[in-house]
Amino acid sequence: MAALIPRRLICTKISRNSHQHQLRWSVRQVTKSNFNDSLHDFHSHLSSSDFVAVSLQNTGSFSAAWHRLSSFDCPETAYLKAQRAADRFQLLQFAVCPFTISGSKVTAHPYNFHLFPRDELNIGMPSYSFSCQTSYLTAMAQQGFDFNACIYDGISYLSRAQELVAKVRMGNPIAIHHVMKPSSTSPSVADTIFVERVKSRIKHWKKACADSSSRKTDEALVKSLRKLVLGGEQYGSRPCMTIDVCSERQVQLVLEMLGEFSDDLVALKIPTKGGGTQAVRVVLTSSMEDKSLFERELQNVEEEQNKKIRGFREVIDLISASQKPVVSHNSLNDFSVIHSKFIGPLPVNMDEFLCSLRLVFPHVFDVNHLMKEIGPLENVTNVPAAISYLKNRFFAPIDMEISHGALLNEGKIHGQTVLRICHLFAKLCSLLRITPGAIQSSDDNITSLLDGYANPFKSCSGSSQESVDGGIRIWTKGPRKVGCKHLVFLWGFRDSLSAGMLKSLLQGSHDVFSEEFDVCLVDKSCAIVVFLQPNLSQAFLDIMSSEGISGSLRELVSEGLRAAGYETYKRACSLGYWEADLASSLDKASATPDCFSQSGSETNPSEVYWCNDLMINLGDL
Amino acid sequence: MNTTKQWPKRALILSRLLTRAFFSNNSTSTCSSPSPTFPLKHVTRSNFDSALVELRSHVRAADFVAIDLEMTGVTSAPWRESFEFDRFDIRYLKVKDSAEKFAVIQFGVCPFHWDSVKQSFIAHPHNFFVFPRQEIPLDGPSYEFLCQTTSMDFLAKYQFDFNACIHEGVSYLSRGQEDEARRRLKSLYEEQLVNSSHNLRETMDVPLVRVADVLFTERMKKRLSEWRDELLQNRSRGPQDQGASNDLNQQFQTVFFKMRPALSLNGFTSHQLSLIRMVIRKHFKDLVYVRFNGESSSQELVVFTDSESDKDKLVEEVKNEHYRSTEMKIHAAVGFRHVIDLLSSENKLIVGHNCILDIAHIHSKFLGPLPLTAEEFVSCVNKYFPNIIDTKILLNADNILQRRMKKSSTSLSSAFSLLCPEIAHGFKSKVQSSQPCVKVEVHVDEMRSSDWNSGAKHEAGYDAFMTGCVFAQVCSHLDIDFQLYSTSENLVQNEKLQKHMNLLYLSWINGDIIDLRTGSRTAEFLGSNILRKRFPRILYKNIVLIWGFPSKLKPSVIRECICKTLGPTSVISIYRMDQTAVFVQFSKAELVLDFLILKESLERSDDAISVLHPLSQLLEGGNTHAASYETYKDICESPVSELLFADQAEAVGIKWKTKLLPSDVVERQEDNHFHLENALDHTPETVEKSKIRKAEDVVHDSSNKQLTCDEIIDSLLKVEKIRRTTNL
Repeated sequence: MAALIPRRLICTKISRNSHQHQLRWSVRQVTKSNFNDSLHDFHSHLSSSDFVAVSLQNTGSFSAAWHRLSSFDCPETAYLKAQRAADRFQLLQFAVCPFTISGSKVTAHPYNFHLFPRDELNIGMPSYSFSCQTSYLTAMAQQGFDFNACIYDGISYLSRAQELVAKVRMGNPIAIHHVMKPSSTSPSVADTIFVERVKSRIKHWKKACADSSSRKTDEALVKSLRKLVLGGEQYGSRPCMTIDVCSERQVQLVLEMLGEFSDDLVALKIPTKGGGTQAVRVVLTSSMEDKSLFERELQNVEEEQNKKIRGFREVIDLISASQKPVVSHNSLNDFSVIHSKFIGPLPVNMDEFLCSLRLVFPHVFDVNHLMKEIGPLENVTNVPAAISYLKNRFFAPIDMEISHGALLNEGKIHGQTVLRICHLFAKLCSLLRITPGAIQSSDDNITSLLDGYANPFKSCSGSSQESVDGGIRIWTKGPRKVGCKHLVFLWGFRDSLSAGMLKSLLQGSHDVFSEEFDVCLVDKSCAIVVFLQPNLSQAFLDIMSSEGISGSLRELVSEGLRAAGYETYKRACSLGYWEADLASSLDKASATPDCFSQSGSETNPSEVYWCNDLMINLGDL
Repeated sequence: MNTTKQWPKRALILSRLLTRAFFSNNSTSTCSSPSPTFPLKHVTRSNFDSALVELRSHVRAADFVAIDLEMTGVTSAPWRESFEFDRFDIRYLKVKDSAEKFAVIQFGVCPFHWDSVKQSFIAHPHNFFVFPRQEIPLDGPSYEFLCQTTSMDFLAKYQFDFNACIHEGVSYLSRGQEDEARRRLKSLYEEQLVNSSHNLRETMDVPLVRVADVLFTERMKKRLSEWRDELLQNRSRGPQDQGASNDLNQQFQTVFFKMRPALSLNGFTSHQLSLIRMVIRKHFKDLVYVRFNGESSSQELVVFTDSESDKDKLVEEVKNEHYRSTEMKIHAAVGFRHVIDLLSSENKLIVGHNCILDIAHIHSKFLGPLPLTAEEFVSCVNKYFPNIIDTKILLNADNILQRRMKKSSTSLSSAFSLLCPEIAHGFKSKVQSSQPCVKVEVHVDEMRSSDWNSGAKHEAGYDAFMTGCVFAQVCSHLDIDFQLYSTSENLVQNEKLQKHMNLLYLSWINGDIIDLRTGSRTAEFLGSNILRKRFPRILYKNIVLIWGFPSKLKPSVIRECICKTLGPTSVISIYRMDQTAVFVQFSKAELVLDFLILKESLERSDDAISVLHPLSQLLEGGNTHAASYETYKDICESPVSELLFADQAEAVGIKWKTKLLPSDVVERQEDNHFHLENALDHTPETVEKSKIRKAEDVVHDSSNKQLTCDEIIDSLLKVEKIRRTTNL
């Protein structure tokens, strides 16, 4: 198949082809060694493109079947699941592709960055340890993933939050750029004594420095003796002096005092490991020019160091700074990983997460979500399936034009998914009559044209959105919308019971099951019962906890059957009871006193999409 | 896919030539000849079966087998590292946590056998790449393991081949998993069997509602009866051309199945297949519907049987076939565990270096889940491996060896290069001249060498080889005559080795030794490891655990806070666990309760006095928790591993701020400790010798005063060493 690709040096143009999504496009592979060069190219490609597609390769995504995002998850539980996965697993590849759509032509510049959380600064960051799911690693191996390249040469990174900590912990001097305002409080006696002592020391030292620079014939011994007596040191080629301080107050005093001196002194803060300041270092420059030169030097050193600290995060920062819309396939999972690895620890709830994320990435498109605009809730879970789905139903030819660097290793074909996402997105744009051309003309258009689609997180949480495009989602045989409160979780039944068997067991057990209801298994330990009539779920829960339970339902309960409402499930997720099977988690959650009930249930009447194919969803991987 | 490391083939050929040259003029060869290096035996999925056969004979002939493991990490959180304040049971919990969370990715096995003719040991170093692939779908959680970033980086530094491991590593099933797999595959089969016989609900009634179904079943009935009639006719008339029937329908193909004519069904949907099955059941007594699981895919067949008894026979045959293939599948999936079973069943002496973690990994990966207590663990290990010897114990137990090691570290590589210089460096060291070096000849496949050194440190196979060499050298130092003790049993029975047999360091930091035979803890031998700094015995009932205090508080400030409140001599020492937690050891057990009560009452009242109270600095932020030592155990037992101790305590579900133990519980625990300490009173001097983990972490002025300059430097050096080894 690869032989079909006409090879050119700069650009590979792939003609429309019936098997387009199976073609192997060339993607620029980036490791530690070529990171700096690639970063430069990436920057220019980014600024000339309209969109950025991203696709992530993680070491895993769930530890047990029920930890996967399922159709019965409401936004909160979905976020909690994504949060857990993002915290546990590691990102090994980050494919980024700036691209432009003009008509049916897509110009894409794919990059695939190999990452490894190496502790390059020896400070226990970015990650102490991470989990791996063997099935993920095996699948990656089957695709020819080079683990050695990744672990030996992967690019490291620090999140924004970690960067702040790292700077403090490394204890490098911090240049003080702004002279602080003089403190309003009147100085105490101790303060005055401290200031006077430091002042005289600095005066003395300055004078001695001036003397010694005039007397160049000093012997080495005399020089070192003088250094010892004066407490002077060298900072690079310039003389400097360290003033120990005990508090931030004293730092302030020293800085104020230095302001009174001539301008040839530059102050640097020496931080402690704990985050405070242990000393102020005063560096003597020979002239104004020398001072500005020194300040520039300091800035360069800092820049250089920051670059080293940030590592791959530079790419994220560039994307964020460009404010380009980001296209992803599985945005909740992807962006929770991006947030936790490159921005900071994930917030405790979805709303805070969205706020924090929006500051970094204002426009996010989820192709999965856009797919739903075309075929509402079609069960298309991966990108190739979505592409073929569209291909079979619509005629929307897309030309892909891929640029890549001159150096291309033929064997490296990782990061194809990101191109498929570009492709799919372009197709969807043309089908949904979104004209990306308009985006270039004015920024306002982005919001007006794409607003309905640009916030996939929001629309899945629902109620306000539903009024706009709701109503059409109830199909006769297919999925239908069900309120969370109609769901009841059931566990404690016999092993190896199928959903059908369980349903027939329940059917005759009590009156509440005389109306229509549905049963499906979440994992082998737990099932969900969906009541299609209002209030029946509550009635069932009441019966389960009442004394007057009778008949075969009583029999089932005495065998260990238990039931709980959706709130218990939410609580299990938010309390972090991620047991291997849902039954034990629900057991734990229902044993924990309910402290969320007031805040949770009534304010957010959340809904989930009930899908008859749920069992199949869970099974396939 | 061609990304796996190419083992240097050229070097291999070269070394082969060299070894041949070496052996042809064996009598004249000198030490100066270049040391032949060839890689040790790497075993992956592709050569596992053949390697296992060879290994079986090597192990059978071996006098002892050295092992070593490489894992994906050691500690799941900084506070899970080994501390001097760890009680015996906590130390086991830490080992357990490590073995449960991390994966074994390389397993070195090196059988050693004494060749009395050559007066040399023959070693067969094997390096197994192991990877826990899920080859048989089992219920339960997905396979998952933790990687410690620093460990991965460390392995990468030594050129560990992750591709070989993940792409080609040998998978395994533990004994428990094997049973589970067998149960599961059996039940799967039984379902099928039921399907093919007559009594499953689902196949019982496929209601023929659709016209298409009715037409299809009619057609199938006709088609099958035609086929059967034809067979019967052929039988009476003898062979005839079958062409006509074959091109009638491509979906049917006449084949032979177990010596019987059969129709292979191709290109039907599962619904259609179930209809066919129903037709056969209803209308054809002499046809059997069989689902045959081949190598890669399963095949649907309709088989013709002569009689009812022939039919039963066929069902039986299919059943056996299935059973065999299941067994083969499981046998293959057991994979690397065959090596462990081999080591266990051959009852050989197992030699490791500081191998408690290795043994714990072997237990958790290949035998079953680790038990909750050290005692149960030990008895289980002892059952499977009755004779384990730890070279680190041997090296530290013997004064003369200690001196010969020049008190240098007893790490494997330094012991190897000091004790076996001829193997390690290819020359005779001057120190060694009085003590002859035990000769070790290495055999890898066809290649052999008497001064082999692949030099690939931290490769499990090579580390196992080094361990074995060190052991052989120590044995010769103990004047063990290999000539006499040429059999494994005799080596195990040797009384000089007996007293070190089955002793392992539960924690090297504290010199705590566990006896695998009894489960009791033993103190380190008197006079061993002189470097070890002596701490006063730690009384766990005097310890309070404090966490969640403001992160800027240094241990010295905390000490000050408490001393101001409870008296200047109230605190014996403070040990910093991580930035969020400390242990405080009080001088008296009563002070624990005093402190906890005081803390609680301060938290309850918020008047001016409590704000001015010296302890308020510690309680600042309102998130400071305190509890007695038992809580530490509860937290360590949890399967969760948060990075910081304070977060861990929260994740474990600790809601209270101060835990006041009911007095009777305290009483009981004191009894326990008393009992433990009494048991140790035989050698009070040597009990609880401990070591500083980080110099700045320990505020310990009483003992600091007594320290000589040398001791301080020693301890600092050690701190450095520990840092390096733990990659802190």
